[in-house]
Amino acid sequence: MRMAISGIQTRMATPALRRIREQVIASVWFICAIFAIIAVCFILGYLLLNGYPTFLQINLWDFLFGQQWNPTGSSPEYGIFPLIIGTLLVMAGAMAIAVPLGIASAIFMSELAGPRLRTVIKPAIELLAGIPSVVYGFFGLVVLTNWIRISFDIPTGETWLAGSVLLAIMALPTIISVSEDAINAVPREYKEGSLATGATGWQTISRVIIPSALSGITAAVILGIGRAIGETMAVLMVTGNAAVIPHPIWNIVSPIRTLTATLGIETGEVPIGSLHYHALFGIAVILLLITLAINLSATIILGRIRSAQTGGAVKKQRLADETRVKIRHLLSYCLIGMVLLLVAIAAGILPCLILLIGGAAAALIWKRISPKMMQKIAYTLLFAAVGTVIVVLAILLIDIIVKGLPVLSWEFISGYPSNLGREGGIFPAIIGTIYLVVGAILIALPLGIGATIYLSEYTREGWVTKTIRTGVDLLNGTPSIVFGLFGFAFLVIFIGFGVSLLTGWIVLALMILPTIIRTSEEALKSIPHAMREGSLALGASKWQTIRKVVLPAAVPGIITGTILSIGRAAGETAPIMFTAVVFTSRFLPDSIFEPVMALPYYLYILSTSVPGAQQNAYGTALVLLITVTLFYGAAVLIRIRYQKSSRW
Amino acid sequence: MTLAILEHTGLNIQTPEHPPMGGACGDEGTLHPGETPSPVIHTENLNLWFGEAHILQNICMAIKRNRVTALIGPSGCGKSTLLRCFNRMNDLIDHTKITGEVRYDQENIYAPATDVVLLRKKIGMVFQKPNPFPKTVYENVAYGPRVHGIREKRELDRIVEKSLKDAALWEEVRDRLYQSAMGLSGGQQQRLCIARTLAVGPDVILMDEPCSALDPIATAKIENLIEGLKQRYTVVIVTHNMQQAARVSDDTGFMYLGKLVEFGPTKQIFEHPEEVLTENYITGRFG
Ligand SMILES: Nc1ncnc2c1ncn2[C@@H]1O[C@H](COP(=O)(O)OP(=O)(O)OP(=O)(O)O)[C@@H](O)[C@H]1O
Ligand SMILES: [Mg+2]
Repeated sequence: MRMAISGIQTRMATPALRRIREQVIASVWFICAIFAIIAVCFILGYLLLNGYPTFLQINLWDFLFGQQWNPTGSSPEYGIFPLIIGTLLVMAGAMAIAVPLGIASAIFMSELAGPRLRTVIKPAIELLAGIPSVVYGFFGLVVLTNWIRISFDIPTGETWLAGSVLLAIMALPTIISVSEDAINAVPREYKEGSLATGATGWQTISRVIIPSALSGITAAVILGIGRAIGETMAVLMVTGNAAVIPHPIWNIVSPIRTLTATLGIETGEVPIGSLHYHALFGIAVILLLITLAINLSATIILGRIRSAQTGGAVKKQRLADETRVKIRHLLSYCLIGMVLLLVAIAAGILPCLILLIGGAAAALIWKRISPKMMQKIAYTLLFAAVGTVIVVLAILLIDIIVKGLPVLSWEFISGYPSNLGREGGIFPAIIGTIYLVVGAILIALPLGIGATIYLSEYTREGWVTKTIRTGVDLLNGTPSIVFGLFGFAFLVIFIGFGVSLLTGWIVLALMILPTIIRTSEEALKSIPHAMREGSLALGASKWQTIRKVVLPAAVPGIITGTILSIGRAAGETAPIMFTAVVFTSRFLPDSIFEPVMALPYYLYILSTSVPGAQQNAYGTALVLLITVTLFYGAAVLIRIRYQKSSRW
Repeated sequence: MTLAILEHTGLNIQTPEHPPMGGACGDEGTLHPGETPSPVIHTENLNLWFGEAHILQNICMAIKRNRVTALIGPSGCGKSTLLRCFNRMNDLIDHTKITGEVRYDQENIYAPATDVVLLRKKIGMVFQKPNPFPKTVYENVAYGPRVHGIREKRELDRIVEKSLKDAALWEEVRDRLYQSAMGLSGGQQQRLCIARTLAVGPDVILMDEPCSALDPIATAKIENLIEGLKQRYTVVIVTHNMQQAARVSDDTGFMYLGKLVEFGPTKQIFEHPEEVLTENYITGRFG
């Protein structure tokens, strides 16, 4: 008896040692978690510090609401109002397309598609997420703008519409996959409970499943918005970049310029220390503030929904049900009134009346449709939405594959570029991209997982976690071009790393850190508490429990996060174009202090600045696609294997 | 329509052209003198596979109107699965294959023309684990009536109140109708789920171990409730609790390894079981 016990004891460290070890481990994770905050504060501080001198010369009002942005003219003007409007319009247009399509596709995938169909569509959507923004930009430039130019019969297709369509496609995967996760997380019991009352499938979806998943869907939309607002390259390449406010305001075929595009175009050419330089930092601050506002409102909404779902019993409702219904009615009447008023102002009384009567009729008919009919209508719409997404993806892929494939050859892959990229190969760009991605992941992954472990295992929800989470959210909402600007001004110039691989790693790592933290946290959260308790109850220490039980179970989720990060890191152009890359180089880098070539940047320059290089541009786009797909494929395979071996 | 097919992807229903007469289902002798011979649900040679696993084998039984029928048997023998056949809840599980018939009011519910929605409206279900929606108490009960097209507030109020009263929950929740149902205790949640089922106005109520998560007091409440429900509804209940089966049910079916070993009036099953297996199980001399 004694023997048996001591047999176990010999393998265990003494209690004191164990305690110390546990504490050291805990503090390591704490430092990881704090890092995000420090980074955010530092970036923000640095931007403010550099943006501040602008306002010594231009007052804030003129900066924000000035109608002219012309910093290089003979009498420079620094009014960013058109840029702000441009940013908001492109984003709004993109969301108008992406939100319905995205949510519909998510519903379709999680509720309607059979297992076999799902295994086809899900990777397709993930692929959509993996396609680098510069490839979208390229596609937009050579296909979409052309199409818009012809079908609207306008001189150039580089318009707001083109930007919105591209951004919508780019925001779709985020919206779809996050909403899908939210819908899948709705307990199966709800669905069964609803169906057992004789509700139709659609009633179950619309009345139980979606409301239960609402917080997740909201998060999805907000993440999508974040993606759209922060996007630089694709918009820069297709919106025409004229700093004007569309006239009239809903003229979607007007060219437009966003805040991000301005940074993307001008950062590389601005004289350092000039008013223009500081004004760019001013723009970055404004951009950050916009994303901050979005994130903040998102957090508030999410918090409300969550407390309504879970804490309803604890928190007394202040208003009686009756009153709340009345208020809701009042609000909706106000809203209808406002819309009508707007229409009346904009288009006159007649359309307004038509709208009113049409709306009333529609509402009446709507109420009379039988649940079955409703289900048919709804499912047809869902089908149509998914169909649209698939068709768009197919067009994009087919175009690039068909036109890129003839260019691909061994010489193209293994050769060095010549004649400004019109001829020759892209070997250094491929290698450079791989260097960049691997380095960035190696920095971000340990940090991110450490932070996640701290957040979800070592603390209770409180102000510490809230602060850290806000930091991560901020970092996540930070547009990639802002990282580029920061990296350029701080790391390249101030610290003196120069345009180098090292700077690229740091910037990219900062950029993907939040993705890793968020997705890993979701993965850890989804592990039932009972599993941890089961392990702790056997006398395992906290760290043992995490390492042996929690982390293995969370691996698929963490890998998913890594997949998304790889996609971003490999395809990003904005953050590296001032910090890590050169257009062409005849050599591979010898040290981490040398710049590299990278596929996305190479494609960007080829397609925008080198006339007559379209063939090689297609080839590069295809290679970039294949590279990203390979990364993804490997990761997806790993995930599938893990899912098979660890089910609970 | 393709749309309709999606509703139960993965389900493969095979209805034999000529249902075998006699065969394994030979004796309709479960009828006893002096009883109303009107089975509400009638299964005939029901077989079910989940993938390769043959979960239900040749089940033949007749569930009679306005009676409480209990299903007992060791864990994993297929009680829940059988119960879920009655309202086609198994449709939700991928790779399910079913042969044989389940007749409800003489209609085979696995016939292609069956309206599953209508069927589930008539045959309500209470699950093993209370599963209220994350909505208010009121909204939970009003859910069924609402999806079936009732909109007037007054009518809904009436149904909600009546159902909650029938489920013996009204007194406890009348002051918190508009608070989240997630804040109720487990027993209250279960009765809420019963109220939610009653609100639809079903004909048959299927209950899958409704008391398994409850304490004796809540259990007693639900048992009383079932006793009362019998007047107006037909109840089928799965239970692991022999006393409970003996107390509340009129008929009992004993299942073992996917087969219905014995089915008959509760009194007979508990006092003079025909099969040795049944007797062993009931007396606790099992395995
Ligand atoms: N979704 C499913 N997929 C595959 N097999 C299943 C599924 N649900 C149940 N089974 C299997 O079907 C058999 C019967 O399960 P069922 O839930 O009907 O048993 P039960 O009699 O209700 O058991 P318990 O008393 O534990 O609830 C079991 O062997 C189980 O493993
Ligand atoms: Mg069961």
